[in-house]
Amino acid sequence: MVFGNSHAVKNASFELDEGRFLTILGPSGSGKTTLLRMIAGFQRPSAGEIVINGTPVSAAPPHKRSIGMVFQKLALFPHMTAAENVAFPLKMRRFDAQTIPERVQRYLDLVQLGPYADRRIHQLSGGQQQRVAIARALVFEPDLLLLDEPLAALDRKLREEMQLEFRRIQRELGVTTINVTHDQREALVVSDEVIVMDKGEIQQMAPPSATYRNPANAFVAGFIGVTNFISGTVVSSAGSEVAFRSGGETIAGTWRAKDAVPAAGSAVTGALRAEQIRLAASEAGLGNCQTTRTGTVRDAIFEGERTVYDIALASSSTRLRVFDHDPGAHKQFAIGETVAMGWNAQDVLTYPN
Amino acid sequence: MNAPLSKTIVIWVMVGMVLIVLSAPTLVVLGASFTSGNIIAFPPDGFSLQWYAKIAMAADLRDAFMRSLAVATICTLIAIPIGTLAGIALSKYAIRFEKTFQVYLLLPFTIPLIGSGIGLMLLFGQMGMLGQIWPIGVACCVINLPFMIWAVSASAGGLDPDLELAAANCGAPPISTFLHVTLPAVMPGVISGSLLMFILALNEFLVSLLLTDARTVTLPVQIYNSIRSIITPDLAAISVVFIACAALVIALLDRLVGLDIFLKSK
Repeated sequence: MVFGNSHAVKNASFELDEGRFLTILGPSGSGKTTLLRMIAGFQRPSAGEIVINGTPVSAAPPHKRSIGMVFQKLALFPHMTAAENVAFPLKMRRFDAQTIPERVQRYLDLVQLGPYADRRIHQLSGGQQQRVAIARALVFEPDLLLLDEPLAALDRKLREEMQLEFRRIQRELGVTTINVTHDQREALVVSDEVIVMDKGEIQQMAPPSATYRNPANAFVAGFIGVTNFISGTVVSSAGSEVAFRSGGETIAGTWRAKDAVPAAGSAVTGALRAEQIRLAASEAGLGNCQTTRTGTVRDAIFEGERTVYDIALASSSTRLRVFDHDPGAHKQFAIGETVAMGWNAQDVLTYPN
Repeated sequence: MNAPLSKTIVIWVMVGMVLIVLSAPTLVVLGASFTSGNIIAFPPDGFSLQWYAKIAMAADLRDAFMRSLAVATICTLIAIPIGTLAGIALSKYAIRFEKTFQVYLLLPFTIPLIGSGIGLMLLFGQMGMLGQIWPIGVACCVINLPFMIWAVSASAGGLDPDLELAAANCGAPPISTFLHVTLPAVMPGVISGSLLMFILALNEFLVSLLLTDARTVTLPVQIYNSIRSIITPDLAAISVVFIACAALVIALLDRLVGLDIFLKSK
């Protein structure tokens, strides 16, 4: 799929291979929903072209496109039963009337709603309504499935269950899927590819692990994961290794942006993930770390599977968030305690400011 | 709720008084219609159904009643397509001059009925259409149309705007989307609006008074004409039949869409 436009969305060109699950991730107002609505045909791109299976579709009205969509508020037809909702696209797309009931039942079974076919929409739970919406979007075997944040309104447990359900159904049918969300976890969990959008522009398109490990810029590094940002000015560089000064300290980092390493004096930002920082009572307990610092614990938040520390560096005013993923196995630090922190230069992802 | 007893008593006394005041005219007419005497009186002078028997035989009242039903039917049949489309359009689409349209559509409602009645009388008179039933139906539709539009637009306003997009996404062209999705979704508004139009046209008096003559007189006008000559209990009886018809429509409304929707539709 090739795409290009401006204003709410600009220069949003990307291609997606058949059968892949793509998530467009971005904060609200980043243009991700506009992008999806243009693909569905509800909005006309002012420039550029959308191509599905080699056919340009920008000029086609939505009902002439072979695209299934699950809406944010589901938009199920309230006066129809679950089965009637699922049968609607088949009737509108003139499928052979004889095959419709069997096909509707097959798709209701696929989403595990077989016994609820004759229920009205308001008689179904939130999760069941989700499933009806999925069945309605898939029943006519569209070339493309669009998901417009359909899970946003669900509680966390149900949302995580439905994420895996989307993944299962998508794998089972092999339907090319574009999902839109602002939930970074969902993007990592369900997708083959992730596009991160901001201010109407695509920041990065990569598989989930690459997006997480090799963010293309500081925005992507900050949007996915919990990241500490340290800004400063370049002191020296050798290859991709960069040293920059920040608040009276020199920090060693690794240059991750596409463009060349900037000259000394340029402003840069280092991004350091909260889980890449090791924590110990003293420097001796840290093991091999290229950079070590001491700091004071300002806050310790117990989250069950991990403890999140907010630590102020002793040598500057910088505050760092640090994860301890194993809070049961060793001592927890108390607020006010002095701790040693260590990390490696390769984990300080450095970008132009 | 555990309101103190005194509060409960005060509230129920007030509710009771309001109910009495509101239903008093109906109760008086109802009582008077069962009188066995020869003059209209309340409390009734004995009990009999003789006045119901009399109106059943009275051809003029029966004909007037049938004409009223015809007027109400014509009015409703015209109001359904016009009011439905206008109501949907006004609430769902960004129309140029929307405010102007709204004022224009509400105008008949703000003009005193006697004014619009005279206007319609002159208009239909010029066109030589007086003396027929259907102009009365048209007139009732014109003056009451805002109620229909309100009922429909209240229904349409609560509609998820994505519903029509979802229909398009399912492959429905615009006309199918309207027939299969938009129209069923606003149906409660259409039903309550139509029944309201029917009742209003059935009861319409002032405009009908100006537009009817001896051949086309409707029931409210017929009753009025009779009162001017001699007040007999048969008028109370026909009023009761009349009220019963309106009550029947309300009951129908409650069964079909629920009175709550009807009351909410402004």
